[in-house]
Amino acid sequence: MAYNELIKKFNRTRDYMREFYIYGFKSREEYTRKSARSYDDERRRIEAWLGDYMGFRQTADGKNVFLSIDSRQSRHNPFYRAWKMKSFTDGEITLHFILMDILACAEEELSLAQITTKVDAYLAEFETPRLFDESTLRKKLKDYEKEGIVSSRRKGKLVYYRLAQSCLMEKCLTESLSVESPSGDSAKGTQEYLDLLDFFSEVAPCGVIGSYLIDRAEENRECSSSANIRERKKCGERDGESEKNGNRGNDSHVEHFVFKHHYITSAMDSEILGELFLAMREKKNITLETINRNRDMIAENHVVPLQIMISVQSGRQYLMAYMPRLKRIASVRIDSIVSVKINDRNSRFEELRERLRAMQPYMWGVSTQGRSGQRLEHVEFTVCYGEGEQHIHRRLEREKRCGTVRKLDEHTSHFSADVYDASELIPWIRTFLCRITQIHFSDPRLEAQFKRDIEEMYRLYGLEEGDKETRDCWRDQTEMMDTERREGNRVCPKIGEYLEREGEGR
Amino acid sequence: MMFHEIYGSYYQTVAHVLRAAVDHPLAPNELKEIITGHAFGESEWNIESALREERWQLIRKDGTTPIRKKPTCPLTLLEKRWLKAILMDPRIQLFMDAGCDAIPDFIKIADTGELIEVLDLSDVEPLFSPEDIRVFDRYDDGDPYENPVYQRNFRTVLSACRTHSSIVVDSMNRKGRIRTETVVPEYLEYSEKDDKFRLVGTGSRYGGMINLARIIRCKVCEEDGMWKEDGEKNPKNSKEDGKKKLSGEGWKETTERKGSGSRMVEFELIDQRNALERALLHFAHFEKEAERIERNRYRIRVRYDKDDETELVIRVLSFGPMIRVTAPEVFVDLIRKRLIRQKHCFLKNLTEKNV
Repeated sequence: MAYNELIKKFNRTRDYMREFYIYGFKSREEYTRKSARSYDDERRRIEAWLGDYMGFRQTADGKNVFLSIDSRQSRHNPFYRAWKMKSFTDGEITLHFILMDILACAEEELSLAQITTKVDAYLAEFETPRLFDESTLRKKLKDYEKEGIVSSRRKGKLVYYRLAQSCLMEKCLTESLSVESPSGDSAKGTQEYLDLLDFFSEVAPCGVIGSYLIDRAEENRECSSSANIRERKKCGERDGESEKNGNRGNDSHVEHFVFKHHYITSAMDSEILGELFLAMREKKNITLETINRNRDMIAENHVVPLQIMISVQSGRQYLMAYMPRLKRIASVRIDSIVSVKINDRNSRFEELRERLRAMQPYMWGVSTQGRSGQRLEHVEFTVCYGEGEQHIHRRLEREKRCGTVRKLDEHTSHFSADVYDASELIPWIRTFLCRITQIHFSDPRLEAQFKRDIEEMYRLYGLEEGDKETRDCWRDQTEMMDTERREGNRVCPKIGEYLEREGEGR
Repeated sequence: MMFHEIYGSYYQTVAHVLRAAVDHPLAPNELKEIITGHAFGESEWNIESALREERWQLIRKDGTTPIRKKPTCPLTLLEKRWLKAILMDPRIQLFMDAGCDAIPDFIKIADTGELIEVLDLSDVEPLFSPEDIRVFDRYDDGDPYENPVYQRNFRTVLSACRTHSSIVVDSMNRKGRIRTETVVPEYLEYSEKDDKFRLVGTGSRYGGMINLARIIRCKVCEEDGMWKEDGEKNPKNSKEDGKKKLSGEGWKETTERKGSGSRMVEFELIDQRNALERALLHFAHFEKEAERIERNRYRIRVRYDKDDETELVIRVLSFGPMIRVTAPEVFVDLIRKRLIRQKHCFLKNLTEKNV
């Protein structure tokens, strides 16, 4: 099949964009084991959409393609472009504009036969007029009805169609704001609406829908006159440059938001996320197909979707779901979900969601089970800081999540937490390296690993001298904390409360 | 359906063509110009040829169209559901006043305070609601979106961004002292991790970056130094005027993003415990490059803003021995110093306890 810039299904493109953006070190040969043509086509498409962000590197293994995007510079998620490349037939695009025009001009609802006659009249003046039969029209109208842009009403044996009310509302949305703005500035209302969309299309789940709304609002701004375009061309403005600088196209508005710590990869999972939201809103069971990328295997799971958990520190999104097979709630990474099939309603949805809610005070991240076999794992550490470093205590306070922070004195703070999986805290605890004076995990293997890792870091940076001293240091402080624990006989109130509620003992 | 052709670039571009063609017959070059202005890449050629060859029967040979009205793009159910969902987000209060109901049925325009019945979403089911989502690692001290003073300040700043007006800002500095400065806001920077907004602007002697939550009050500034009402445009007080006015008092040109001194860090990564994927995702929002140097060893280069160096140091540390910084030496030293200090922490602690 000849190359086409447009795509029918998003999944393959999603995989390639992810590979180029997240990894970007694979050579063509590593992709082409299955199909060389697929790789070439996908690379060409992605280059067409995201060429400004694409780079190439020649290595001994071949040419590597990668995407590199500083999301703080780009005011709109560049991946949204890929969502606007759905393929269609010549007939579909012709019919779309004609149908919308027929329904917009109609003073009353129209039957299928009336619409068919009008479509023929629209096309009659072309050299070789297309012919659309009633069945094609019915199918298209049904599709639009499903999308919510056309509504229908059965009267006797006939079905009558009209534009859905939302069309009028949308018109109102963009026009009345401008008209009614007391400042008299006709563009003001639209600009306010666009500011709102600019912000939420980047920070809200399924933000690509906000991007669609921006396109529509911009379209209504009537900035498409050829004079405007000619003027811009004279100024030498290029699409890519303008987008990087915050403008999206020749008629684009000025954006007023920039985003820091902004992960844009979730855009690729928007459709999956949308399906999961639909299932949760309807309290339905789902069948998930998930991919294990290391093994290149796809598995099928029947689960009850309960909540989407989002990390703003890694950009990952997870589905928290009840797994009937495992009889417990666990997480599934959304970027590993290949497909979602919505099934029947689950009568226990509220009960299961409540169960998840009760678990969350003991979840640092998304894990609901540690490796120790203990129901809850305990972790605590102490940090010290100097005279001008009181912000360290404040940092602990704002980053503690389900943990507890205590100020021991002017220069020392203590953190403790009881969680299902203490290993999830390790990366965060390492960010306090240079001030940790004591640390303890209830799982001795975790503690040993944490300490081994630090010793390895000393070695990596040429600080291995005194290794023995460091090891002794770790051992002595562990013993010291154990003694303190025995003497202090401290029981974490949270654990007691939890065990009491759950009726479990340790 | 989220991936649908009606949202596509081709449909958008054709709508632009038809808008012009409804108005007047398209001149021979006009079709090409409109398409070039809205499409990109190969779509430019595809769209033009499809219309000219009448495969898409929407433009006749003489540049006229059978379409009678300028195409309107209807809101789909999905779009309405998404809009309804964002109306439930606490941050929506920054842009508009919520109605009395928890879920407002109407949009109330922020700047005017006037209730305008724009979009009745009362019968629309939201795509998601706050209980469907949980952000689990956002910092606890985010900005107070429900505070009316904060909302007012946000709107004043955003309005000044639109009009390029200077504003006078009173803010609380770290030492608890009130600082007054005049600034021309350029944009607002939002961090999802910190859940905070920062004003970034020009013309301030203090650098032009202000945390919005630290602003006590801000008002549009008149040239004579008097304050105008919140958010009102003062055409005389343009960005250029602001520069002139402030030139005598240490005005600093800050047109680029503040702290935009870009630096590069290079590190080697050993792919154990899924470190490769974790690191590449973690640093994904930076401009970066990854290269395989051995079977499970990778070299990664990340470009960062020098103002964020400390943050980057601790983020690198969070990967433990999976990452070893190799360049520049100054960054290596920052890591090394922390590790040396960590050694001393244990030693000091032991000594104190033993005494």
